[in-house]
Amino acid sequence: MLVTRYSAVAHRTAALLGAGDEAEDVVQEAFVKAFRHLKGFRREAAFRPWLLRIVANETHTLTRARGRRADLVTKAGAQPETRVPDDPEGVAITTDRRTRLLQAVQGLPEREREAVVCRYFLQLSEAETAEVLGWPLGTVKSRTFRGLARLREEVDRDLA
Amino acid sequence: MISPEDDGLEAELRALGLSLDVPTPPPADVAASVRARLEGSLPHDAPAPVRRARRRVRRWVATGVAVLVAVLLGVTPQGQAAVQRVLRFAGVELRIGDPAPVPSGVPSPLPGERRVSLREAREAVAFPVLVPAELGEPRDVRVSDGGRVVSLYWPGARLDAYDGTLSVVWRKELGPPWPDDVTVSGEPGTWIPGRHSLTYIPRQGSGTRTYDRLAAPTLIWQVDAIGYRLEGPKTFEQARRIAASLR
Repeated sequence: MLVTRYSAVAHRTAALLGAGDEAEDVVQEAFVKAFRHLKGFRREAAFRPWLLRIVANETHTLTRARGRRADLVTKAGAQPETRVPDDPEGVAITTDRRTRLLQAVQGLPEREREAVVCRYFLQLSEAETAEVLGWPLGTVKSRTFRGLARLREEVDRDLA
Repeated sequence: MISPEDDGLEAELRALGLSLDVPTPPPADVAASVRARLEGSLPHDAPAPVRRARRRVRRWVATGVAVLVAVLLGVTPQGQAAVQRVLRFAGVELRIGDPAPVPSGVPSPLPGERRVSLREAREAVAFPVLVPAELGEPRDVRVSDGGRVVSLYWPGARLDAYDGTLSVVWRKELGPPWPDDVTVSGEPGTWIPGRHSLTYIPRQGSGTRTYDRLAAPTLIWQVDAIGYRLEGPKTFEQARRIAASLR
């Protein structure tokens, strides 16, 4: 039941945080850990951020251990160009802008990138992001803010 | 969520996030792999407590898989619940996620609610008003919203029958424990084992009064175009028995 409910969001989280091809492996390991530690989970707490935190930690461990974070992220990011759904209104322009924006996100410092991915790509709330990444709420806010500011600069310069 | 200097970048990022297609294997496959990992390879030198934990986990997983099958069959088609957390069934919109804020204060009655006899109720509404034999004659009968809803009351139980299962008649917001997919007299149903917030969505034009309260465990099902919600029984077995006795 838990696997069914959270499989999709867990895969998204792992992939977008940089697990790349190994997202499936990360997700399975995260579910295994979640089951083993289910007793430590407070029933009244929200399950989703708790699970995603395990996914985020697993992703972290993976990318750290392999020391090829940038590579994996680029791979994950290399797909969208062909995957952006058909959009009758100026596919080319939208795709181009999205590609640039995505590249800009990938170019962010790691912490800011994680904050932006959680808040906007995964659409988590600030509180959920704090729990998933294991940061204080204020840190989520400031890193998101700095990430956005940097993205604005990048995108503006690109399109100028 | 929208900051003062929001220049559309945040919206753009969200749209970009949605356009990023992350391949996801079928949930059933993931569940199978996870189960294999859980049952499979613990190191042989694992200390005894770990092995005991593993047996516990295995039992847990067996139960989990049974529930998983139920969920796969109905409540979450294609396992999309993580993305689509709003489910509609039998005139009820289920919003599943974190626990909703608990409604406080005294709930107002349903729009146009009036107390009637069973016979009057049968004349007032367009659908057959059935009574569960298991509970006997209701202590109280109410008709609301121009005959859209009939509510039957017994001590500790309440049965709402409502017309039109295609529109949203009720909205329920709930967190864990999650609803279960069940079968009631051969018809699909949903059992909500926990307390949850319940809102009545009036028929268009019948006023804007909102009915909002904390509801007890509830069984939802539908027969033909009539939706039923039975609230009060503490276990699904009790609820199922009552539901099956509708005459």
